[in-house]
Amino acid sequence: MDVIERYLEAVAAQLSAEDREDIVAELRDLILSRVEGREEELGRALSDDEKEAILHEIGHPLVVAARYRKGPDSLIGPELFPYWLFGAKAGLIVIAAVQALGLLVHVLGDPANFGQSIGQAFNGFFSGALTLLGALTLAGAIMEHYDIKPTWLTKWRVRDLSAFGLADPAKWGASMAGSDKAKAEWMPKGAMVWGVRAETTGAAQALWSFIASAVFILWWIGVIRFTGIGDFALRGGDVSVTAAPIWSLLFGLILAWAVAGMAVDGVTLWRPEARRLQALLKIPVAAAGLWIGWRLFQAGHWATLTQGDQTARVMGASPIHMDFDAIHAIPEAQRGLAETALTLGTVLSWVLAIIMLCLAVDVLKALWRIATARD
Amino acid sequence: MWRRVLRGDVDKALFEAMRLELRRGSLVLAVLACLRTERYGYTLRQALAADGLEMEESTLYPLLRRLEGQGLLTSEWREEEKRKKRFYVLSSGGEAMLAALTDEWRGINASLDRML
Repeated sequence: MDVIERYLEAVAAQLSAEDREDIVAELRDLILSRVEGREEELGRALSDDEKEAILHEIGHPLVVAARYRKGPDSLIGPELFPYWLFGAKAGLIVIAAVQALGLLVHVLGDPANFGQSIGQAFNGFFSGALTLLGALTLAGAIMEHYDIKPTWLTKWRVRDLSAFGLADPAKWGASMAGSDKAKAEWMPKGAMVWGVRAETTGAAQALWSFIASAVFILWWIGVIRFTGIGDFALRGGDVSVTAAPIWSLLFGLILAWAVAGMAVDGVTLWRPEARRLQALLKIPVAAAGLWIGWRLFQAGHWATLTQGDQTARVMGASPIHMDFDAIHAIPEAQRGLAETALTLGTVLSWVLAIIMLCLAVDVLKALWRIATARD
Repeated sequence: MWRRVLRGDVDKALFEAMRLELRRGSLVLAVLACLRTERYGYTLRQALAADGLEMEESTLYPLLRRLEGQGLLTSEWREEEKRKKRFYVLSSGGEAMLAALTDEWRGINASLDRML
């Protein structure tokens, strides 16, 4: 087959059946005109290499066929691309944060398998990222092809633009920095972040809290599991951990409390300048957390450790656990089942006490904010 | 055909990119103007080149099909010099569009002349 016909066949394969014959005939005329013109200049017939040079000038068959394609020229056009890019960036950040959080929990629960945990985290991130980008591209391509324009593309309000500031890592740093010096390193003094001064915004903290709550909820309802939490190794054999009945009793309440916390974080992200509203919402959520903590303290029995035919209860919130001497005794504790249960009870008691203290402080801070905020 | 000599302080690559953008906006008007007379692809390209507007056939031919699809051109296949060629010419809609675009072009030129 002639080199020109082979080229035209490659172009034809990319064209729709409806236009194929017509377009190929036109291209054949174009190519032969160029060839004849060149032959007239040289006074002789062209070789196959010289004809191929002319075909190179015309273009690759895929590119030539694309010029005749009807409809959009790109998978995601210039109007939609900024939204696609933001969605990809935000989604990748969330996936990275979730995998990092999961990695941290895995490492704390099962430090012996650190390497495996790292590998799983990377694998999780890459497969999640590919799925996200594929889904976003598919959605964008469908919108581009059918000219679908959702209302958020055409109708938006300035007050709803705060979340888009999260694309700037400097604002995350400014929000999370503890000291004024650290904040100044991220953002200049007096700089505005989502409409409020950089040193007072809490939107990045709310985002982390939102993600952490989401991960907790998924774990709480059993969608994700972390190895090393339900059982661990101890001298004498493996130990399994069984939750005490109080957790079943409070299951729904704890779930509702976590969801409510997520909702408050969502409001903070959506309206970071509405500090009075945030404070109003935080008070009942913190109060609910205090009540749940108090019920756990009253129950006292939190888990049961089982090793073979031996059991030991993990108890908390009794005087022996809340004594500072109990903390000092932890490093010297024997590694038997009963001693491990006592140690766990002590640690969990103090953790719960600190959490309740933080919740109480949150309530006081919220009340103060309501009294003094000017939004 | 005139040739522009670049000033020494003009970035050549940037100038080339902007020059292509400037030309791209005028190609449709140039093609419609040339097709007041019936031509086929090769002779159309030669006519454009003769007036200083070089255009690749790979860009020209799809443009001709698009303009025909928009009702601005009509075409027919005819045999000439032992080969079938597709001849294009302005339709009545194309003539009206050419007149409207010519007025628009002259308006833009006048505005630019005042600014430059």
